[in-house]
Amino acid sequence: MLWRWLIFVWIAATMVVALLSAPLVPVLQETTRVLYFHIPSAWVTVLALGWSMINSMLYLIRRDLRNDDHAAAAAELGFVFCVVATVTGSIWAKSMWGSWWNWDPRETSIFFVLLIYGAYLALRASIEGEEKRARLSAIYSILAFVAVPPLMFVVPRIYSTLHPDPIINGSGKIDMDPMIRWCFFSMLLGFTFLYTWLQSLRVRVSRLERRLAT
Amino acid sequence: MSNGTSSSMATVWAILRKECRSEWRTRYGLNAAVLFAVTSLTAVTFAAGRMPDQPEMLSALLWITLLFAALSSMSHAFVREMESRTLLMLRLVASPTQIAVGKLLFNLLFLCVVEAITVPLFMVLTGAPPLRLPQFLTILGLGTLSLAASSTLVGAVIAQTRSRGALFAAVSLPLLLPVLASGVSGTRAQWDGMPIAADARLLAAYAVALFGVSLLLYDHLWED
Amino acid sequence: MDRNWVVLGVSLMLWGLLFFWILRVERRVRDVEKR
Repeated sequence: MLWRWLIFVWIAATMVVALLSAPLVPVLQETTRVLYFHIPSAWVTVLALGWSMINSMLYLIRRDLRNDDHAAAAAELGFVFCVVATVTGSIWAKSMWGSWWNWDPRETSIFFVLLIYGAYLALRASIEGEEKRARLSAIYSILAFVAVPPLMFVVPRIYSTLHPDPIINGSGKIDMDPMIRWCFFSMLLGFTFLYTWLQSLRVRVSRLERRLAT
Repeated sequence: MSNGTSSSMATVWAILRKECRSEWRTRYGLNAAVLFAVTSLTAVTFAAGRMPDQPEMLSALLWITLLFAALSSMSHAFVREMESRTLLMLRLVASPTQIAVGKLLFNLLFLCVVEAITVPLFMVLTGAPPLRLPQFLTILGLGTLSLAASSTLVGAVIAQTRSRGALFAAVSLPLLLPVLASGVSGTRAQWDGMPIAADARLLAAYAVALFGVSLLLYDHLWED
Repeated sequence: MDRNWVVLGVSLMLWGLLFFWILRVERRVRDVEKR
């Protein structure tokens, strides 16, 4: 019980500190605040999708439906966090460059990811039979994850983008004011724990559905 | 080992020949694909008009036409198999991977034929500037590889679902958007006189990744 | 400073609502699991 409240306090506290005390990033000015939500969401998106793919692979190897539960749950949650990342990104774009959507390579990439996982969910919805659904969506999930690295990391590097350079620049140094850095990583951690909680909850629901169906 | 490989190759080759032959017998698929390509091409070029001086629009329109021609013609490959129940027969004589690679090669060939008709027609109808053939063909070829690899695997997956047609396009499209992006960018680059290396590299890597991963996945396609 | 408070207020409220919603869902799941 305690750890749930810890998550609550952690994220709430990070919000308070980030929004009230942390300075603004010079380049970003007022829009700095969005980064505390936008980047952690994007991070969780990739985390969730990676977890989904790992479980898809595990399912194909072991044929354990629990892996399928995790894969499906992770894909759903990844989709949700992806929507959050896209929307916060769009808000950021509007305040920085004046328009909600530009088909900037980075924006486009996150939108692609959204489509891929939308397709995954549509695919699952159209297959009857637990094992078949698990197997076919596992195949698609693995295939889809092949598309994600190029979309998220290669495309923005090749095509010049308006998106602020990842603050982790080429040499691997993290070039941020310490206060910002603390808040940022704190939020990252908070979001990760939140995701873990949601994931376990969603898997429990799946298991119940299966138990009730038999 | 070499014996195993060469008999594998022989099986794949046999499947390819079987596909070609059964397609050629009725030519339904080919006719439909060419007809669709020409029709959509006509519609697009009629609506857009001649654009000798707008390479970015030309690239975009060309790739969209190709993409939709591919999406409409590729979905039938496995469905036909499922409907005529010949898949079971095939699986008696060949491994899933061999079947899939045979079909992939067929799809590749099919796409090449469709493109051989569509692309020149497109160039003529839109009054496109002259192509720098080596670059253009590189981009087109690499893009086609990805189209074929993706369509084969997705087609096989979709054939086992309830919704089929609409779902095929919806599921394939996100996987093919990187191809669209790089294809358009590369085609536009060769018209602008810019290097295509970056786009070509991305397309090649993507095609290899798709092909490689799908080879691993084909075995899991058909369980029952 | 003003802007900050608004953003903070909204985010905290949304976060609070989300958190309590998750707690409710978890409680219902636990109920069904017990049966």
